[in-house]
This record gives sequence, C-alpha cells and structure tokens, in this order.
Amino acid sequence: MAPVIRPSTGVGFCTPGAQAEIAERPNAASGEHSDTRRITLTVNGEQHDLHVAPNAVLLDVLREQLGLFGTKKGCDHGQCGACTVHVNGRSVNSCLMLACLQEGAEIVTIEGLAESAGFEQGHHPVQAAFLEHDAYQCGYCTAGQMMTAAAVISDDSIDGDETSLREALSGNICRCGAYKNILDAVQSARGKMRGGQ
Amino acid sequence: MRAFELESVEAIDQAVSHRRVHDGEAFIAGGTTLLDLVKLDVMQPEKVVDVSRLPLKRIETLEDGRLKVGALVSNTELAKHEIVMRDYPVLSEALLSGASTGLRNMASTGGNVMQRTRCPYFRDPAMPCNKREPGTGCSAIEGINRNHAVLGTSEHCIATHPSDMCVGMVAAGATLVLEGPDGQREVAFEDYHLLPGDSPEREHDLKPGELITHVILDAPRSGGQHYLKLRDRASYEFALASCAAIVNLDGDNISEVRLALGGVATKPWRADAAEAVLKGQPATQENFEQAAEAAFNDAVAYSHNGFKITLGKQAIVRALRDATAAARG
Amino acid sequence: MTTETQKPQRVDGTLTSIGQKKPRIDGTLKLTGGADYAADRNLPNQTWGYPVSSTIAKGRLVALELDEALAMPGVLDIFHHDNFDKLSRSPNDFAAANKVGESRLPFEDNEIYYHGQYIALVVADTFEHARAAARKVRAQYEKSDDQLTDILALDSGQGDLPGEDVPGDASSRGDADSAFESASIQLDQRYSIAHENHSVMEMHASVAQWENDMLTVYESSQGVVFQRNALAKIFGIPQEKVTVISHFIGSGFGSKLFMWPHAVMTSVAARRLGRPVKTVVPRELEYLNTGYRPTSLQRVRLGADDSGKLLSIHHDGCNETSPAGLHDDTVSGATPSMYDCDNVAVTNRLVTVNKGAPTSMRAPGEASGAFALETALDELAVKLEMDPLELRKKNFAEKDPAADLPWSSNHLKECWDNAAQRFGWNKRNPTPGAMKDGDEIIGYGMATQSWEAMRQHCSARFGFRDDGTLLVACGTQDIGTGTYTIVAQTASEMTGVPIEMIDVRLGDSSLPSGPLSGGSFATATVLPAVSAAMKEALAELKTLATAEGGVFENVDQDSITLRDGRLVSGDNSIEIAELLRQNRIGLVDGEASTKPGDEQDQYSFRSFGAVFVEVRWDPGISRLRVARVCSTIDIGRAINPLTATNQVEGSIVMGMGMGLFEQIEYDAHGYPYNNSLADYVVPVNADMPQIEVELLDYPDYLRNEFGARGVGEVGLTGVAAAISNAVYNATGKRIRDMPISIEKLLAS
Repeated sequence: MAPVIRPSTGVGFCTPGAQAEIAERPNAASGEHSDTRRITLTVNGEQHDLHVAPNAVLLDVLREQLGLFGTKKGCDHGQCGACTVHVNGRSVNSCLMLACLQEGAEIVTIEGLAESAGFEQGHHPVQAAFLEHDAYQCGYCTAGQMMTAAAVISDDSIDGDETSLREALSGNICRCGAYKNILDAVQSARGKMRGGQ
Repeated sequence: MRAFELESVEAIDQAVSHRRVHDGEAFIAGGTTLLDLVKLDVMQPEKVVDVSRLPLKRIETLEDGRLKVGALVSNTELAKHEIVMRDYPVLSEALLSGASTGLRNMASTGGNVMQRTRCPYFRDPAMPCNKREPGTGCSAIEGINRNHAVLGTSEHCIATHPSDMCVGMVAAGATLVLEGPDGQREVAFEDYHLLPGDSPEREHDLKPGELITHVILDAPRSGGQHYLKLRDRASYEFALASCAAIVNLDGDNISEVRLALGGVATKPWRADAAEAVLKGQPATQENFEQAAEAAFNDAVAYSHNGFKITLGKQAIVRALRDATAAARG
Repeated sequence: MTTETQKPQRVDGTLTSIGQKKPRIDGTLKLTGGADYAADRNLPNQTWGYPVSSTIAKGRLVALELDEALAMPGVLDIFHHDNFDKLSRSPNDFAAANKVGESRLPFEDNEIYYHGQYIALVVADTFEHARAAARKVRAQYEKSDDQLTDILALDSGQGDLPGEDVPGDASSRGDADSAFESASIQLDQRYSIAHENHSVMEMHASVAQWENDMLTVYESSQGVVFQRNALAKIFGIPQEKVTVISHFIGSGFGSKLFMWPHAVMTSVAARRLGRPVKTVVPRELEYLNTGYRPTSLQRVRLGADDSGKLLSIHHDGCNETSPAGLHDDTVSGATPSMYDCDNVAVTNRLVTVNKGAPTSMRAPGEASGAFALETALDELAVKLEMDPLELRKKNFAEKDPAADLPWSSNHLKECWDNAAQRFGWNKRNPTPGAMKDGDEIIGYGMATQSWEAMRQHCSARFGFRDDGTLLVACGTQDIGTGTYTIVAQTASEMTGVPIEMIDVRLGDSSLPSGPLSGGSFATATVLPAVSAAMKEALAELKTLATAEGGVFENVDQDSITLRDGRLVSGDNSIEIAELLRQNRIGLVDGEASTKPGDEQDQYSFRSFGAVFVEVRWDPGISRLRVARVCSTIDIGRAINPLTATNQVEGSIVMGMGMGLFEQIEYDAHGYPYNNSLADYVVPVNADMPQIEVELLDYPDYLRNEFGARGVGEVGLTGVAAAISNAVYNATGKRIRDMPISIEKLLAS
C-alpha cells in the first residue's frame, strides 16, 4: 500500500504531512507484547490511554505512539535538548524519562504550546518571535529551543538579561548556530509576555 | 534499551524492604543517569524501582540550624531555594553550573550524589573498564585521559567524579541519611564517595537495598563563598576543574576556610592540605598560590591531563580571591 | 527543453520581494512541529532497523554470534555479510550525479577498515526491541594492531608533508622556489585542523519501502537526485523506479550530500522483509559513519619584500582519507586565487587512515586552507611589523591571478574597510598583551574570507493555477538555508503574485532534477531554472490569451507583459487565473533546464568577506572567550537578507567551534574517544559573542540574472584564523593547530 500523502491543503507552502499516517500506526514504540502496561498520559490537555512497555521512553511514546513528531530526537542521551517538552510546567528532556512514570502529569509538546498558554494554535509569542527574528535555520532543534524558552520566560527566578538567558538556553544546542536570533527572539517574546519586567 | 520490570513504591520502607542483594535492581528518580546508561547497556537492571513518588521532596531547617534536604528535591529547586541561595550560595552556584535547565529540572538531589563518571571508556561496554567490569583493565590510563582525574587515582581507575553539586556540598559540609533494610544511618558526605583503589566498581558507601533519603547540610558557615567552574565551552559541559571555596576572615587573616575541588579528582575532593596552609594566614595572592600548590602536591598526571594540575590550581586561587572579596562584602 | 543562460539583466523595476527580509514560508511548519523530517514518518506495517558496528579499527570479522539476538522479543531478522543481497557499487561519480559517501557497499566483505563500520543490521518490530537485540549481537575479530588514525603523528615537523602526492591537485605559476629563496622576509610554518564532525542535530535516517519493484526512501538528504541515482545503480533498476524524499533536513553541512551505507542496508532489509524499515543512525555512529572534515596538515611558505609585497606563496596540504571512501579535501586549492603574487606553488597529499570516509564539511578545503594561509599572513605581518590588514590590502588581487581572468564582481576592499571600521580595528594595539580590561587581556585579529561561487545545471517546473496560486517545483532541497523561501520570493518578484500564494515543492527526486544543497551553489543554480520555467509557462499563457476568441486576440505576444499576476497589453489586462478559468484549464506550466554558459571562461566567480574578532583571555584561569565578531560579506545580491545574514552568523558560530573546541580524538588503539554530543564540544548559546554581520549588495549579474552568488560557506572561511590571530595579539602565543584548547594555551 502506498504511503498516504496528503494533498495540498490550500494556498501557500505545502508539503505532504506526516500526520496523516499516524493513525495507522498504533503502539509503534511499545509493540503489542504482553510486557506492556496500561497508562493514561495527559498530553496537550488530552488524555490518552496507552499500552506501553515499562522501558518505553516518553520521547518515543510521544513520537511513535501519539504521532507528535514535533518533539525531536537529537541524541537520545540528554546531550542536546531537541527533545525538550514541558512536564507540569517545567522544561525537561523527554529522552531521559520513562513514559510509565508520567501518569498524572501535564505534558505539553510544541504542538500544544500555544494553546496551553491560552494562545491560538501556532501563535505563542515565542513562536511569533522565532518567525519574525528568523531564530532557526534547519528547524530541527527549534521545538526544543522554544519549549525551553517558554519555560524560561515564565520562570521568575531567571532574569531577563542577556547572560542569564543565554545560560538558561545553553542546554539546547543549535548546530546551525542561530543563537543570536534565538536570543533576540526570546528577549522579544519575553518583553511581550512580561511587559516591562 | 533492554527490557526491565518496573515497580513503583509509595513509601520508604517499601522501597528498602526488597533486600536487594545484587545490582540487578536500580532505583529511578529523575532518570537522567540511569536511563542514559541503560540505553548504552552500561547499567543492566532487570528491575527498576520508581522512588520518584516517595515523600522526600521537602527542604526544612532543623532545630540545630542545619538544613535537611529531601533526596527527591530537584537540582533546580535546591539551587533556587531561598535559604540555599542565602546561606549556601556556593552550593547554589555549583548546582546552577551543572548540566542544563531541563536536566536540572529532572535531576534529584539523591540522584546527583549517585551520578556516574563520564569516562567514555566506562560508557562503552565494548571497552575494558575496571569500574564497569572489574578485572578487565583501565582503558583510560593508556588511552586518552584528557578529562580524567589527577587526584585520588589508582592504577585501576582514573575516572573523574562528574558532579558539581557534590563539590558544593563537600565545601558546605553535609551528612547523608541512608535508609536500608537494617534501618537508618548517617554518613558524613565526605566519606560517602570512595576512592577507586583496587575496587573502582565500589563507588560509594551504600549497602545493598539502601536508599539515600536526605542530605543534611551543616549549619550555614558565615563568610564569603564562591564556586568557580572551568571548562572548554561556557556552559553545558562537565568541569575540567572547579573549586568551591568558603572563606572567613578575621581582619586580613583567614580564620576559617573550606575548599573542595571538582573535575580533577576521582571523588568530590576536599582540599584539606590547602586549607591547612591558609588557616590563620593573611588572605593574599601568595598564600592562595601556596595553598593551591599544596592541594596538588600528590597529584598524578597522565598523558593528556597534566594541564588540569595547572588549571585546578588556578581555580583555587581565583575562587579564594572571589570568596575573600565576598567575605569582605 | 533547455534554454541558454540569460544575458545579464537587471530585474525590471523596483524589487518588492527579492532582496527583502522575508520570514520563511516554511516557518510556521517548523515552529509548530509540522515539518516532516525523515524519521518523522511511520509507514503502515513498518519495522525498525538498528545497526551493529565494529569495535575495532582494523582487522577482520571472524564470526558473528546472532542466536541470542535473534531470540530477543520482536526481532524479525538480522542482516550481515553472509546473508546480504548481492548488489553493485555505485559508480560514485560526481558528474553523473551518483556519488556516495562510502564507496563500499555495506557488509561487502569481512574486512574491518574502521571503528564503527557496520557489521550487521537488526530489524525488529519496535525501536527498543531492535536496539536491545543489537546489543546482544557478539562479534569475533582478528584484530590488526597497525591501525593508523592520526596523520599528525606521521609528520616529521619539517620539510615535506607525509602522504601520497595527488598530481592533479598541484598547480604553480612563476618560480616559487627561487622567489622564496631570494625573499628578504621568509616564513615557513606548519598548521593543522583537527578532525571535525558535522554534528548535525538530526541524525541521519532512512525510511525505506518497496511497492512491487518501486523503492521509496525518505531520507535526510542534501541531494535527493544523487541518492536516487546511486540507489538505482546499486540495485540495478531504472532511476524511474526509485524515489528519494527529503522535505526537511535537520541540517547537513555536507554530511548529507552523498548517501551513506545505512540507506542501502535499510532498503535491502525492506525488500527482504516486504515491509517498510526505518533506521536512524545512532548518535555515537553519526561521528564515525557519516563523514567528517578530515584532519589536515599544512605547510605554508611565504616570501615577501620589506614593503610587504608577496614574492612567493607555497601551500602544501595533506589530509586523511579512508579505505572506505576516497576524499581529497584540496586544502590548498583556493590559495592561488587569493592574493596578487607572481610565484605560487600548491600541492596536496593524502594519507589513508583507519577511519570512516571523510566528506565535504562546510567550505570543504577552503575553510582549512584559509586557516593556514590567513594565519601565515598574520605571522608575516608580525615579521614585517606591519598592520595585518594593510598587508592584505597591499597584495589585493585585482583579477584572479590563478585563472588570469577578471573577477565577475569583487568588493573585497570594501569588505575589509567596512568590517574594520565597524569593528574599531584602528584601536588595535599590535603589541601582544597590551590591551587589558580587569582580569582579561583583549586581542584583535582579522582574516580574509572567500569561497568559489559555482553554478550547476538545473531543471525546474513553474505553473500558474486557476485559483491564482503558483506551483514551483525543483528536485533540490532546503537544508535550512531558506531555499523554499527564496524560490517563492523569486517567483513572486517575476509574477507579482504574493508570496503567500506560492506553493514551492522541493526535496523529492521525482521533481525536475535540481542540484545538491551544498557548495553555496544552490541559489545561483536554482533561481535561473525557475525563471526559465516561468518564461516557458508564460509563453503558454500568451498563446492562450492571443488565441482566437482570446482576450488578446490579434495582439502581438511581445507586447504582453506580466504584472501583479495579470497579463497586460496596453490598457487591457486579464488576471491569469481568470484566463485559465475562461479556458477551463486548471494549470498551465512550463519546465526548463539551465546551466552556466561561457561566462565561466570569461570571468572568475568568487564571494568575499572580511572577519574581525575580539577575544578575551583571562590568564589567571586560562579562560579564552570570543567576545565580538564583525564580518562584512560580498555575495552579490542576497535574495533574502534575513536568512542570508543568519547563514553568516551561524558560520561564525561554527568557525568558533573549529577555532576553539572541535576535535574528534582517537586513542592509540584506534578507539574514537569522544563520539557524542557531550564529549565533542560544539558552541552553545552562552559561547555566542556579540556578532555583527553586514552584507554588501552588489548584484553579480554575470553569475545569473538575479545577481546572487550564494552564502552558505564564505562566512566560515577565515573565522578560525581570525580567532587564532586575535589569540596571538592577546597572549603572544601562536597556536597553529586547531582547536585552540586550554592545554595548548597553557603549554605554549
């Protein structure tokens, strides 16, 4: 059977969407074996009943079972930050978390970032600022950058000066080296979200 | 990653009642060390016990002025706790110099104490390593050892202890509370981590089935404090050399001093020889340099890490200078 | 249909789209998680591959013990030398567009050429099952102990460099030997660049699927056409039966230009299992199995008179290559073009090492070569007691002295002056260590930047749709440089159709063949083809409009112009979409191919720049930081200054990595010591200096009708040299071997 390629959906930039194929791929991360357990994950405000293996990693479950491919795997060892998501409002590296231990937690990925903060899908101030400031090139680390940025901006213990922000963002490697624009975007979004602070 | 059983426990006695007599079982709290190493097949637990829901998330001041920190307090929470920032700035700075925002949010206090070395030979099961597989030999001694220790090494292992937090705790002074099948006991923080000697696989004084439940920080020491971490890039990298310094002045003289080193030793390292040089002496650059020399008197360099002796001394001198400045206000 | 290169001509009227700072048209997809990278795809009934690789650097694989792994949960099969399909090697020919990264086929023989070489592929139902089983595969080797992984160890430190000479790389003019011997000022130094890895954020990945005899591979690729062609050769099937798709690439920097063996293993496994297979190269193998910038050793000899006029340049290079794939980095290749000097001789040599195949890494050759040449010039300036910038100005090449051709466009002098002025170069104290600020000593350094401005052949399709939108398609890729966006800007500029109405399709080998995304030639190559295709489509539209009963019946086609999405003739006009609807046609499109013309023989094409660096050195704690970088770049016209500036800024960050941190190290046993993102140190956000980039805007219409030369590489060249030169100014220490690590600073 051919891969399902979505037709162009309207005007503008079009690419075959990955999302279309997700529905056909249940339990990709866990397999269907008896060594799975049943858990409920709350992701982007939605509850998902899932069967996962005890060793299933949150990152893999988000991607392979829930089809939330916006969260990226860059190293699988906590060495790059591409897999950053929010768990209970804090930025974390989802590659080093067991899915089974996240029951009851509020998980937010890039797909739900805007709505989790009360903005229209795709219009979180961090997303808008990244677009405006061209705070990316290849886009692969970008979800992780933005998830860290959003958490850092709303963290009262992290100052808004350049040094503090650059340090707080340093766990998200951007090999394209778009750090200048990332910092500009985060400062701009921070200004918008925190007003004069 | 290998398959394992997963069990969640809700109470401490449940966690330590298993009488875990072999290392086929592992606790998981934050997971930042364990999952990393299981993916690499360096740690091979058959069963993982989730202790992340135990009631060990509080920070409380004891009547004697000490600060009791639950083992599940995250590195972020500990670093940014009001009392820690005020009374233990050297620990706060040490914590915030480690890892990244996201990892610090995950990593627990107890897990940080249990952090494993970053030696690449240890992290690759294909390579001989006495720490991972006793008796197979040390690949680093004859191999590349740029990141390895110059203090506390043995002919069997020269792996560096990677933690920043532990260095801050050694300087601040602390006690570990361990809960085990045979009840509770306390161990001085400095005595907890072991030198590699001829059994580098034994990294600490934790008996089978025991769990770290708390770290109790000594009552706050007055004076100036500073943690200085030196590394290649500016952030998100383990130390090549670091120094935690607490300096008390009596006029221009050093009345009390605590010095601990990271990045250069096989365990979080108390530089007591350096402290002895300084006690009662004027807080001068010359004395700082003499103390630094004393700290590395017994240092052993290998083919690639000789520069760490110089760098470690520099870390001491600068940390002392800045801690002294802080002490003077 | 092929059209010859257009005569240089300025785009009519005021530019509204080209040359404007436009946010990326793929931005929203990237910012919402909707952009589909290779591994972001699960096909029905898909399985997972996980590779097993050699743990020795040289020897022979004697036996594989698979029983335990085969018995692991979910395992479907394990592929290796004894059960692998018989395939043909790709001809590995750049000109035929089938070059691959590793010339060997996977599991081709049981010889082990390098640590990390694939010895098996485990396929299982899930990723974790495949990984767990891969850890259970045991290999027995006969190990050879005469492996070589460090070419610097072969160097005697004087005279000729080690290795085999590459005769085709040698070039000379004048009599460099004699000129050097008689020069009053002489410099003879050796330089090296460590083995650097691209360290792309997105690990290489293949998702392969066979449907009947048709192969589709979703790949993280900078060259879908190259990979399509290579796969067709390897499997012995027509190109039409292979499709390679790469809509988004998590950066490449050269490591994804040419196919690596994982794609072949995965395709074979998919065919054998009759199910799609997804393989993601594990991070630790990214450093061993997907190319790298080879270690290079260089010798530069400069002869000058007392005024600083260069009398001779010798530049000898040597880089490592691999039995798994030949790679000649030609580090001295650009040197003959750089400065006005009558006597120049360059050579290159190769040493075969037991590592995976090296490949192109951003500004291949020139980034390494420029480090040596530009550091040598700084050393010469010290000998001459001359300002290093003045030394370069004195030797400015008014034409390309290597090709003896005029430059198509060269504004290097303005780059030097512009960047120097913005940087405050006149405040530099040439005495090392003389500029201080608290604990820190400040150092200033500079270097010239340059990269050849190439152009390739290219095909593209351009369509007008009846809903007013445009379709532009080309089998090239957007690797993060902004190709999607500049294609849309160009289409918008030519037609007046707003960018939002333009549908750009790239990253699919079934589209008209486009170039690799590499060498900074994609922009200069693709846009002329888009333009030519548009003209084909426009001609169709005009025919339609002037047909009997058409709106422009009896109107001379030459009088019809295209403006704001309308065909216009005199006072009459018609919206193109309306024209199509009237004729009940959904789409009118044109396809065209373009290639560079005889301008190649009349001019030399290069981009230029100047980079100035401030470092801060705290000797009390041996801390070196890059504090400030100013760079001015001459790339012709930047189609999108927003994304082009970003490229240069990112190049500076990568140059800092080359200068300060990056080095894959092998131990004496041939073991790769730091093949992880934690141990291979790349710059993080906290390392970022104050960066100020300025792009000059002198369109190079000799290169193409849009005046664009491309921007990906030029910004990297010279950065490491400028850092090294600044370090000398701060410390008096001349570090000639990159990276400038703490121990080198302490030792010298």
